[in-house]
Amino acid sequence: MNALIDIAALAEHLRRVTVEVTDAGELLGSGVLWPAGCVVTNAHVVRRPEATLRLVDGRCLRARVLARDSDADLALLGVPGTGLPAATLAEPATIRIGSFVAAVGHPLGVRGALSTGIVCAIGPIERSGRPWIQADLHLAPGNSGGPLADAAGRIVGVNSRAAGPLALAVPMSAVERFVQAARG
Amino acid sequence: MNGLQSLSNDLAAAVERASRAVFAVNGRARLGSSGVHWRPGLVVTADHTVHVDEEVTITGPDGRALTARVAGRDPTIDVAVLKVDAPAVAVAEVADSDAVRVGHIVLALGSGPRASWGVVSSVGEGRMLHLDLTLYPGFSGGPLVDAQGRVVGLNTSGASRHWQLAVPAAAVSRVVDELLRRGRIPRAYLGVSTQPVRLPEPVRQRLNLDQQTAVIVVEVQAASPAAEAGLMIGDVIVSLGATRIADPTDLKSALRPDRVGESITASVIRGGEPKDFQVIVGERPRR
Repeated sequence: MNALIDIAALAEHLRRVTVEVTDAGELLGSGVLWPAGCVVTNAHVVRRPEATLRLVDGRCLRARVLARDSDADLALLGVPGTGLPAATLAEPATIRIGSFVAAVGHPLGVRGALSTGIVCAIGPIERSGRPWIQADLHLAPGNSGGPLADAAGRIVGVNSRAAGPLALAVPMSAVERFVQAARG
Repeated sequence: MNGLQSLSNDLAAAVERASRAVFAVNGRARLGSSGVHWRPGLVVTADHTVHVDEEVTITGPDGRALTARVAGRDPTIDVAVLKVDAPAVAVAEVADSDAVRVGHIVLALGSGPRASWGVVSSVGEGRMLHLDLTLYPGFSGGPLVDAQGRVVGLNTSGASRHWQLAVPAAAVSRVVDELLRRGRIPRAYLGVSTQPVRLPEPVRQRLNLDQQTAVIVVEVQAASPAAEAGLMIGDVIVSLGATRIADPTDLKSALRPDRVGESITASVIRGGEPKDFQVIVGERPRR
């Protein structure tokens, strides 16, 4: 295999669209700059009506929770005027079992940490549960709400929790439905 | 497309290709396992996951449930062979496991399909593959595949909770060939009970042995291959048929089914002196 495998460039790209969600100096989790002017994260990350977002360039902005769905474990925050481009989403059909994925977040307070793996399975982990992107990749508290991306840096899901060594992410199709509903 | 994207596509293609030959095996009460369509009509799985002796329900990649029959087992390497009529299910493409090297990227597959990835971290005794990857619940008996989707081993987490292991494909094929040749898988035996023993440093140096431990014979069954060969209680077995014996597990893995009837050399230490015995590997009488 001669083609360059540049995981560092992928990490750098993902850090630009990943925010730190904090409140009163306490790290709550991560978030994805998407769609434009907004940040999507997990509902369990933001329990109050407002939170502080720390962007990759170090700016800290106060953001209001626009919508929250605890069943889907998703929340949408408004951050107009960041000047930063929003993340690009992957086409759902391109996500295959075995394909490479990367997560960026702030696990245990480690800023912009990268973990990599592959898609293990797509579907519920228990009978009649909701579908997850199950990734063979290590997550820790602080990763919640951060992006799970493909090899080209396109977002495939929002990391929500770990089931042992398995990472569970809300598929982007569910995130899009949530955002559409939130915006009316 | 960058290098990472093409690697990603290769891995996904490898999963797609290899998973066509992967079955779900329901051989025990709680957690199912996986199996690989190794040869037409023969599915291999991890022996420790098959608690029944007759019929097992297995589910193909197309979701169809089939009844398989336990055709043979080799518990020494944790392989069971099931017989099933499944002409619609693809047969795995098995690669040369002797070509697998430490550092190679590998994927472990379970039925579903589900997949995990990592590298081969070391190659142990009997070319057992030690893996730096996660074998998720139900992955036992599933294939270990290379980046091209060819099967290089059979995953097992049965022998140890600390190691993620795969039986090399060559060893699995040997068991399957044995079954096809004899119509059953015989269980090789010597007729000794052993315990691990530490080799004294002066003995190791004098006999030029690099192993720290060996096994000491604590029982010789009457009229067994070991008794016929002249082995005695107190003999310390250091190697058997060119396989180094550092503990009783090594002895088990040296006694492969295809060695039944073969004359092999047992190198022992008796009274501090090295001694070689020719042992004709016997077949354990069936109960």
